[in-house]
Order: sequence, then structure tokens, then C-alpha cells
Amino acid sequence: MAKSMLLINRHSPWSGLCARETLDIALAGGAFDLPIGMLFLDDGVFQLAIQQNPAVLQQKDLGANLQALPLFGVDDLYVCGESLTRRGLAADRLALPAQALDTAALAALVDRYDLVITL
Amino acid sequence: MATLHLLAQSPYSSVLDSALRLLSAQDAVLFTGDACHALQAGSAPLEKLQQLPVGIELFALEEDMQARNISTPARVTLVDYPAFVALSIRFDKVNSWL
Repeated sequence: MAKSMLLINRHSPWSGLCARETLDIALAGGAFDLPIGMLFLDDGVFQLAIQQNPAVLQQKDLGANLQALPLFGVDDLYVCGESLTRRGLAADRLALPAQALDTAALAALVDRYDLVITL
Repeated sequence: MATLHLLAQSPYSSVLDSALRLLSAQDAVLFTGDACHALQAGSAPLEKLQQLPVGIELFALEEDMQARNISTPARVTLVDYPAFVALSIRFDKVNSWL
């Protein structure tokens, strides 16, 4: 049995390579049919904010790449509800359909996976 | 599945709070590097840690504690590097909070 892996995104798309690296892991894992889950936590929720304009900063559009996740079989997307609320974002206005979780559900989520990578 | 949460950053970044939010009842936390400052007597992070359920074990890397002159609070177990390795084997998985 392939080991399941939870990737925890804690960084905004603007703060270095973490967001893109995590996405690369997810897409690579998805391509090999690994059971992958992604959790957007803390500033990681900014990866899901809509209508960002990375071209203004000569950066690539991470949001466009995130749309590839379902194509690679990565459908288990979760977001920390508290992180969203603190940053003024709404769970029903995100770039990807991620399920918002409360604190108790977060701990249960981590429990469920064989491996966890936090970036 | 029990998880060993490995912390290396200062408790005054947001990492400690986030890690504690994801903690399950059978998990443990290992403090290394600047994360050891969370164990400083009288600090706000230590006060928070002492309110964790008793089943959650707390470990700290001895040399990082010594280097920072932090005394070991009750319920914290000091480990050396071989014990660090043993811990990471004992738990089902390790979550390294970078």
C-alpha cells in the first residue's frame, strides 16, 4: 500500500520558494497515484486568495498552477478556518474548493495520514 | 497515529501556536534550536505548554538547552542526539516545522 502524505502549506506565494516546492511535491506524488492531501495553514491560505496579480512583480502565477492539482488526482484540499478568518478571507471565495476545518478537525486530519511534510 | 512534532524556530514566530493547534492527544513535541526558548521559566509560551494535556510528552535537545542556559521545566525530558533518533523511530511519523 502506498503511504498517504499530508502536505502543510504555511507560506504565502510571495515569500520564497516554499509554496511552489510544496505544489511540486503534490503534483509529483499525484502523478504516481500517491494518496495526497494538502492543508493550507497560517500564511499558506494566501495561496488560495483569488485575483492576485503576480505578473506585476514579474512572478509566475502560482494560482494557475494550483488549478492543476485536481488533474493530478489531488482532490483532498483543506484549509484552516481560523487562519482564513484572521486574514479576512472567506472559505467560499477561494481559488480552489478547499474544505475549511476547525482546530479539532485539524488534529484529526494530521492523525489520518502516514507522512506529513510541513513547508 | 502518534506524531512527534519537531520544532526548531523561536516560539515568538507563529510556528509554536500552529503546531499546538495540530497536536493530537498521543503526540509529543521535541524542542531544538531556538524553539527551546519556549521552555524559559516565566515565559508566555511555557505557560501555554504547561496547560497541555498531561499525556502529551515534551522533549528538548540537551545541548541546545545548555547553550541557551535554559533550565529544564517539570514534565520536559532532555534528550541527546541518539535519543532524538530513537524518538523519531518510536513515533509513527515526524512533523518537522520548518
